[in-house]
Parts: sequence; C-alpha cells; structure tokens
Amino acid sequence: MDKTAENIKSKFLELGVDIPIEDIVDRLDKLVTKFKVPLDEARRSVITYFLKENDLDRNAFFGGQSTTPDSRSTPDVKLNGIDEGGKWVNIKAKVLQLWDSSHESVSQVGIIGDETATIKFIKWARDMIPDVEEGKSYYFKNVVSNEWNGRFEVTLNKNTVVEELDEDIEVISSPIGGAGDGQPAPMVNVADIAEDGKWLSIKVKVSQLWDNSHESISQVGLVGDSTGTIKFIKWTSADLLDLTEGNSYLFNNVVAQEWNDKFELTLNKNSSIEELDEDIEIASSSIIFAGAMVDVQSGSGLIKRCPECKRALTKGACMEHGKVDGTYDLRIKAVLDDGNTAQESILKRDLAEQVSGITLDDAISMAADALDQGVVLDQMKLKLLGKYFIVTGSKVDRYILVDSIELQDGLDMEMLDELITEAEVL
Amino acid sequence: MAGYVREVSRRVFAQEFRESNLTFKDGDDQYSPQYLLTPTGAKVNRLFIVGTLIEKEDIGTDSEYWRGRVSDPTGSFMIYAGQYQPEAAQALAECETPAFVAIVGKPSTYTTAEGTVLTSVRPESISIVDVTTRDLWVADTARRTLERVKDLDNMDSNVVKAKEHYNTDKDHYSSMVKEALRSLKEDL
Ligand SMILES: [Zn+2]
Repeated sequence: MDKTAENIKSKFLELGVDIPIEDIVDRLDKLVTKFKVPLDEARRSVITYFLKENDLDRNAFFGGQSTTPDSRSTPDVKLNGIDEGGKWVNIKAKVLQLWDSSHESVSQVGIIGDETATIKFIKWARDMIPDVEEGKSYYFKNVVSNEWNGRFEVTLNKNTVVEELDEDIEVISSPIGGAGDGQPAPMVNVADIAEDGKWLSIKVKVSQLWDNSHESISQVGLVGDSTGTIKFIKWTSADLLDLTEGNSYLFNNVVAQEWNDKFELTLNKNSSIEELDEDIEIASSSIIFAGAMVDVQSGSGLIKRCPECKRALTKGACMEHGKVDGTYDLRIKAVLDDGNTAQESILKRDLAEQVSGITLDDAISMAADALDQGVVLDQMKLKLLGKYFIVTGSKVDRYILVDSIELQDGLDMEMLDELITEAEVL
Repeated sequence: MAGYVREVSRRVFAQEFRESNLTFKDGDDQYSPQYLLTPTGAKVNRLFIVGTLIEKEDIGTDSEYWRGRVSDPTGSFMIYAGQYQPEAAQALAECETPAFVAIVGKPSTYTTAEGTVLTSVRPESISIVDVTTRDLWVADTARRTLERVKDLDNMDSNVVKAKEHYNTDKDHYSSMVKEALRSLKEDL
C-alpha cells in the first residue's frame, strides 16, 4: 500500500501538485482496511479525490474487448457417438416423440433416434426454427450436445439448420419406455422421480390447483404423497376427468419431465386417472427460504382492516363491506431473493414487529405525528432492504406465509471453505 | 389470471458486469423486458449488489443527477440516479463516502462513439448496510457465479448465446471467484 501511495504522490508531483504522503496513506488505508475496497479500486478513488481537490482534469479510461465466435467445421456423428457436452455436431435422426411443453421459451421438445441410440432434443422458441414432425427423419446441422446429470441431449440453436430427409432413418429397436405397449408404467413415489422422459404411475393427493391462462392446459397445480410434492400439468387434449383439491388419485402412465433441475408430471392422452377412496398423506409443506430482502411492497407497514371480514382496506373501503371504520394492523409483504428465485413473503403483525423493531403502537404514533401512514413503510424499508434473512413458513400460491424470520448475521465459514474448494477444482 | 412474475435480482461481480456488452429483448413489443447477458450466461433484468460506495458526485446540470461508484472485491459498478429514481437519488445525496450500500437496480448500457459498451446500474433502491451484509453478498455472488461457470457445459439457450458472443473463458471467471472468496478469509 505504501508503494501505491508513493506512486500516487509522484504522479501528482509530475502534474505540479505536492500532496502530503500521510493524506494519501490515510485515505487508501481507510478504503482498503475498513471498507474492503480492492487496492487498485482504492487507488483509482484516491486519485479521483485528489484530482478533484486540486481542480485537475480527469481522464476516465475504459478497457473494452471484442470477442468473435470461433469458426468451426462441424462433424457428422451417430447418436451413440455423443459422449461429451458442449460439442457442435450434425446428426441424421428420426423424431420419435414430441412432448407437450408448458414453457413458452421452448418451441419443441422430445426424443429423436437413429440406428445407434435415442436422445432428447430441445428447440427454443426464440430461434425460429421450423417445427419438426413425429415420425419424420431430418438432417440436423449445427446442433449442440449437452450433458445433464450424466445424460446427453442435443440443443438446436440459431445456427442450426434442419432439413427433412427423404430416407427413413432406421431406429435402434430397444424401446424408449412408452405407454402404448399395453403395460402400465411402474408405480413410484414422488421422491423417486429422477429421470427425464420416464413414464410412470403414481398415487397422489391434489394439494393445490393453480390459475392458468393457457387454453391448451386444462389443469395445473401441485400434487404430493408422503415423500414430497411435485408440479403437474394436465393437457386439455388428454381429455381426462377434472381433479379436485384435497382428493386423492391414481395417475397411470404419466411422464416425468425435468425443467430447471425440477421435475414435473405431465398427463397426456396416453394417461388415465382413477379417483381413490384412500386419503394419501402429503409430506409437510413447510419450507425454508434464504435470501436478500430486495423489496418491501406497497400494502406493507401500517394498514387498516375491515372489522367484519379482516380484509385490508383500500382507501378506507372494504371490497365486500364498503366504507367501514377499520382497525389498525401491521404487516410486511416482502420480496426475498436468492439470485435464482424472487420469493414473495407475508409477515403478520408479530413478525413484522420483531423484524422491523416497530410495534403497532409505535407505528400508529409515527403515522399520527407525520399525518401520513406511509412513514411506517419508509422506516421499514430503511431497516430491512438489502439485508439477508432466513424464513420458514408454508407456501400458499406464490407466497410464503412466514412462521419465523431471522437475520443472517454472519458468514458460514464451512460454506466459505467449500466454495473455495469448488472454485479451485473448476 | 396470468400472473405477473417479478424479475429475479441476479448476482454478478463488478468485473463480469463490466465485461458484459450483449443486450436483448425477450419479445417484440415495446413492453418486452430488456436483458443484459453476461459472459457466464446470467440473464440480467435486475441485479442486487452490495459494496462500498467510494465516490459520488452530482453531475446534473438542470436537475440533480447523481453518479456513484460502488466497489466489490473484483472492481466497481457505476450507478446513475436522477429524477426518475427519486428515492435512490435522495439516498445517494444524503449518504457519506465511503459507506457499505445495498442496491437493487436495473442494468443499463451505453455505447461510446468508438463502439465500446459501458455498463451501469439504475438503482431502484439504495440502503446503508453493515459489513456482514457485504460479506454475505460476496459469498452469495461467488456461489451463483460458480453455478453459472459450471453450467457453461450444460447449454441452455442463454449459455449458448453467451459463449458464442463472448467466447467465455471459464478459468478467467473461476479465478475471479476464487480471489473474491479468498479476500473474505484474509479479512478475518
Ligand atoms: Zn369487509
């Protein structure tokens, strides 16, 4: 650091300004030691500071680098030759199955095969590649192999060209595990579901039905058994009986599909549903979520509720009972974010008081002093935004109804060491 | 009811953010969200950063327009807040430097006459935090960045796009993460 300080001093001397070395060292030291700024950033900042102090011109400079995708000549391969992720290949294959995709970003997903193997493929909506058809054979040029949990798949991308072939590609005879061969798929538990594209049968209870706006989806929600819960999608084209929340069913011949590391069950036209008399018990739905509080939403802080139905009032009125004399309450609608999920969470009065340090009485008098209920929300934001919390609670629709909340108050050293090891082996 | 899905606040170190220059829209109409795709494939419409505010300056002419520089173990983020970010601008006006700050904001890019793309952050909120929150963020961001570096082989469309555009060097980003994590241990 002393070297850096000397260096800064001599640079300024060249510009005709003599700055005491102690002043430079002090500023540098405060930034680096107390505020953990990397030395070169601290150096920059100190230089900027003294340039400004001395009315000198600053030349901001920025580095930029350009990258060009590497040119490549893509080899033709057979499907059993795909044994590595991240390779560009050309393949000739027949489309064996197209799965329904509930994800707008995916235009087609399914299984293709040749005489050596079968493999999953994905075609993304944004790449605008014409659709392929089941039973037809194609030459797929410039697709990318991808390894996922030890299995391979191919991804079509914007460089991919798909040509339909006149020839009918012969496909390896081993079955891909389908319905339609008369055999019901094997019975499993939710926790056993670990293979993409696997046909299975399962006994579950419907825990939640979600709103859905897709015409092609008849029902979507959450089902579970004693080992866990899983999302399901029932396609309109499957023409199956409607499920009722809280009832238990046997699903025959449904497909497990993996999406972003999670599995979903899809009920299609090969599936069937039987209602069960027994009541399937669902594993407790209490969950833990850790993340930074990135928003405290409007409707948080000091609110008034309808004395009859307890709904929060909007502009002094209840949706159901109109203008009423409301009673005060405190709540927080927070967004916790772990970098992968933005999780809305609702804290009732006792937890809102605990985490914000503001009691309902405090809040009422703060609002009275300021003649504005909004000051309570402002205070809560100041106190909570940007900090890391761990909550437990039950997931209802898109919210967690929080049972407990705690501030994360220190680094987990074991986790830190694990991360360093992970970074080292990469 | 088609639910509105809030954009996740991605975790990206300053160095990777600075090395990003690819933006795209998800969809065709004017309301489609805009994303910045980083070299490790983070698709960023919103980000969460915690670091040290080391400089701030009102560079506005007619009205206040604040520029801030927020440092993390790998470099620094530029922050701009004006009349359209009133809460954040006020927070910047009021706070001292240096200070540990947490920022939720949107990525923004600017292309210079020479064609260089500069990234910055338009804050939605800025709050003063403590050193523990700052350390938690470094570990958090290290973990998410490592996940992305690992996923560079498992190509979804974002990763394919990022690799094509940046020719991403895995080692470059894994050593950046390593350095950031080691700095956490040295501080103790
Ligand atoms: Zn009411």
